[in-house]
Amino acid sequence: MIRSLLIFLAILFLGLLFFVTMVLFAIPALQESTLVLPSMIEVSSNSDIAGTDQQTLENDIAKLQTKLEKLTPVNAYMVVNTSDNHYYLFKDKKLVREGICSTGKNERLVSAERNYEHIFHTPFGVRKIIRKQPNPVWTKPDWSYIEDGLPIPSSRDPSRVETGTLGAYKLEIGDGFMIHGTIYKRRMGMSVTHGCIRLLDEDLEVVYKTMEVGSKVYIY
Amino acid sequence: MKESSTDDFDVLFVKKRTGVKYFAIIFGLIILTLTSVYAYLSIGSVRDRMELAHSTADATMQINPSLLNLLKEKAWIESRLQMASRDSIGLAIDLERHTIQLELKGVVIMSSKIRDYSTSGFFKKMDGNVYFSMFGTPLTIEKFISTIEKNPLRVVHAPKDTIAAAAAIDAAIKKDSLLDENVFWTVKLDRDIDLDIQGIDSVAEAKSKYKLGKGFEFERNLKNIISSFEHIMNFKKPVYTPEILISIPENDAKAILRALPRKPLVTIRI
Repeated sequence: MIRSLLIFLAILFLGLLFFVTMVLFAIPALQESTLVLPSMIEVSSNSDIAGTDQQTLENDIAKLQTKLEKLTPVNAYMVVNTSDNHYYLFKDKKLVREGICSTGKNERLVSAERNYEHIFHTPFGVRKIIRKQPNPVWTKPDWSYIEDGLPIPSSRDPSRVETGTLGAYKLEIGDGFMIHGTIYKRRMGMSVTHGCIRLLDEDLEVVYKTMEVGSKVYIY
Repeated sequence: MKESSTDDFDVLFVKKRTGVKYFAIIFGLIILTLTSVYAYLSIGSVRDRMELAHSTADATMQINPSLLNLLKEKAWIESRLQMASRDSIGLAIDLERHTIQLELKGVVIMSSKIRDYSTSGFFKKMDGNVYFSMFGTPLTIEKFISTIEKNPLRVVHAPKDTIAAAAAIDAAIKKDSLLDENVFWTVKLDRDIDLDIQGIDSVAEAKSKYKLGKGFEFERNLKNIISSFEHIMNFKKPVYTPEILISIPENDAKAILRALPRKPLVTIRI
């Protein structure tokens, strides 16, 4: 009786194992192979149709390639990778400098008591340098006080003004975002900023001198 | 009396063995029938997908096979130019040159070497017309599924005083270490193609992460199988979606996933 039951169970198990193996592995593998499809590769050798001869095609490709290459700026531009916190500086379509940077910490600061909310994130996309300034002064915004657990002073309060915090230079890229230096050097290469792009002193100097007002900054 | 009881026992034994035999045959036949039906309908779905691709392609265009590579090159550049007309970041994948790149307004802002890739047999059997109907213009990503968060945004409650603020800064510094994440993401493209990207830095690392990646893949495949069963139970052919699987360095896989906007354009050359 037990022996028969075991044989039944073994048959049942083997049958189901076969089915599951086929469904999970063999049939999907067969679907992904070329065996199930008849060859449909075009065998026509008609090349007399207008616009399809080799010379015309090669000319078209060359024109399109030139058009595409023209989209890359010849003058200086910068690429910022916020995921790796790395920057790349290009001039004449060549990489002239690269290094670490710090970008937005991807945080939403919420203060229910003060009914305040601010997102610290470096915006993706393309921006332009709209203003360059040496020895910048930082006017602390409200979020700086909220983040430090301090009361917010009036907008003209002298405590808002700080020198040295932004390093030797700043390059504004719009909406309050900037490329600037930092006093927090041990946290370079990390996502720790409030949305600005922080560079090390030497990198900032090269970037400041290479990038012009109007130069593009590509951020991703 | 003794002989008779022995006969009875033998009969019983023979009956039982016959029962097992019948069960094995019938059960085997049922399993084989089910497997055959499933295989037939699954394979049929691949053929249907190819027929659909053919019917939607511009079959009036005559393509000279010797010019196919040049036509692909032209389509590749044209498609990238179309992507460049948009303000958002797009993805360009060149399987021929083993590169994957992020482009913004025609500028390559990030480029990574494809370590390995595999494509469904469907793509290997495409003719020129099907190729251009699928990859001649940019595709659109409709849906992302990933093992990591696409847009991580941590909610931080403002500290009540300077002591709480100092404690929050300390905690943030401690947390700021490089995370060892398993990066695998898959997207559904608008022309009914699945694009899978997995982050792999080295063979040794790939081995340790293989299980996690496979788990993610298995979960997705299981969903497809359940959906296929549902179709078959309703006497319908299951839906087949051809796939492209690409392996790139892990940091690049993460950076690309996070850089892409909600519905980005993708240009592919196979």
